[in-house]
Amino acid sequence: MSELKKIPVILDGDPGHDDAIAWTLAQGSGRFDILAVTSCSGNVGIEKTTYNALRVCTLLGIDAPIAEGCPHPLTNDVMNAPSVHGESGLDGPALPEPSMKLSSLGAVELMAKVLRESPEPVTIIPTGPETNVAALLLAHPDLKPKIKQISLMGGGIAYGNWTPAAEFNILVDPEAAKIVFASGIPILMAGLDVTEKALIMPEDFERIRALGNPVSGIVAQWLEFFYIFHKSIGYEGAPMHDPCAVMALISPEVFTIKPMHVEIETQGEYCRGCTVADQLGLSGKAPNAQVLLDVDRKAFADRLVESMKFYGEGAK
Amino acid sequence: MKKFPVWLDCDVGVDDAIAIMTAHALAEMDLLAISTVSGNAPLSATFPNAHRMNGLMKTHYPVYKGADRPLLVEPQYAAAFHGENGLGDVELPLPEDAVMNDTPAWDALYACAKQHPGELRLIAVGPLTNVAIALTKYPDLRTLLSTILIMGGAAVGGNVTAAAEFNIYADPDAAQIVFKSGVPIVMCGLDVTLQAVLTPADWDELAATGTPAGVFTKACLQKAWSFLQPIGFAGVAMHDACPVMYLAHPELFRAEEAGVYVETRGSITRGKTVTDLYSDKQFETKNALVVLGVDRDRFIAIVKDCIKTI
Repeated sequence: MSELKKIPVILDGDPGHDDAIAWTLAQGSGRFDILAVTSCSGNVGIEKTTYNALRVCTLLGIDAPIAEGCPHPLTNDVMNAPSVHGESGLDGPALPEPSMKLSSLGAVELMAKVLRESPEPVTIIPTGPETNVAALLLAHPDLKPKIKQISLMGGGIAYGNWTPAAEFNILVDPEAAKIVFASGIPILMAGLDVTEKALIMPEDFERIRALGNPVSGIVAQWLEFFYIFHKSIGYEGAPMHDPCAVMALISPEVFTIKPMHVEIETQGEYCRGCTVADQLGLSGKAPNAQVLLDVDRKAFADRLVESMKFYGEGAK
Repeated sequence: MKKFPVWLDCDVGVDDAIAIMTAHALAEMDLLAISTVSGNAPLSATFPNAHRMNGLMKTHYPVYKGADRPLLVEPQYAAAFHGENGLGDVELPLPEDAVMNDTPAWDALYACAKQHPGELRLIAVGPLTNVAIALTKYPDLRTLLSTILIMGGAAVGGNVTAAAEFNIYADPDAAQIVFKSGVPIVMCGLDVTLQAVLTPADWDELAATGTPAGVFTKACLQKAWSFLQPIGFAGVAMHDACPVMYLAHPELFRAEEAGVYVETRGSITRGKTVTDLYSDKQFETKNALVVLGVDRDRFIAIVKDCIKTI
């Protein structure tokens, strides 16, 4: 894979087990030049996601600058998901204390700096609510051309999970999501349509554990913790929501992807936070998103397991 | 055979016309009356169109006039699909013996429901304005109706907007009243109705019988076909015949219990039927049976048989 040019990215998330696994995949794939990592409020509050971001980057050996994101959504009150991720946001295995300092810049300023200094456009991978990215677009519209694309986990064109019509990341900050989807920047959308099919099964946990390196053991425990909640509501495996947004950039061929116009409902009694996708082209609006609809689950799992080998012998 | 007593509320409408012929011909049901509403075309067209169907079928079903506009939103029609006259711009004569009833649809429906307490099946295939007015004016109507079978909505997608189907979009407030009524609901939305396609071969077969009903069926669908063929459809969806067929032949369909409510306040989701079919988060009540699939070939075979008997 060394002959492939690395993709410059910013990782923006609210770790969170599946964020942490997404970042593990990103680093382990060797396909990315990680320019910055930013935290956002989501699965748990901003202090916790920031601390978790530092710990995860320490574990993975990601040496990019790390900045703390916006403390709350643009207009919503803070909304978290402790039932899924535990009190710390990353309950389960013990993690190393951070070996690096937090950037003196806030997330939006760090993103802006990275974009400004990068010789080529940068891809942003938001795996939490879109608050930081929206704030970046509002504060620095001139930097839009420096964003190559936004590969995000959020929404669902057929259904939601936190309400019947809305998925958690979009529901937490619908206004931010609206700004991002209306930005004109190419969007790769990994919503529930695909992420709930990207299941990592208990036997896959064991394949990861069996790699026997320090990271794979922790990932296996994250998966086990993450699966407790999902098993209780009927899942056969752990849905890899956030890793889909990373995998889509590495191995688009494992997904079924369709271009369509997607807009965010910010109002409504039932539909606030709904990602409304124009599958039939009724609006006459040009597609603004490549929407992931399906996945070859086995190939996805194989690639995820494969990426964990990076952390074994020969790793730095 | 015990027959279901049926009231059909519609906005005739080319697929309404086929739903009427199907309801008339199916042995499993006893069609008692037809009420009309503003929808595919204005009430000034849909009401006489129901009479015209009586003329075509040589029947004398009582026809009632309902609402000439939605509860709150502005009226919207679907002339691109149904023509200006609602019958695909095919001219059918108004029968000379048509009885122009003055009783409003909701009053007649209520009186009928009282005659068949717990038995009456209300099949509503247009915007739900008449049904909502009836349920509101007569609070005990909900206890008198057996089931409301509707054509409307979609678990996923829409056909007027990305989020909404025509009948619900045309009167979302009325639809919400119906879904919240507590009457058991069978919802045939786009999920199933777009599978129930009558193809050119099917309507050619019907026209070849030479009967007025067969010839009319082909003729009335051509306007819709000219709209649907260029965008890749295999035929014309028999939307409104779906709930009629479901009542007589539920074994042809796949359906799931769900909570369903209507978005009336969205900026881009007005008229969306929000279901909890696929979501981790569930509504507290399962208020509808959402029909999701159909054996298309068997469905169409029965529709054709029905039209051939007329």
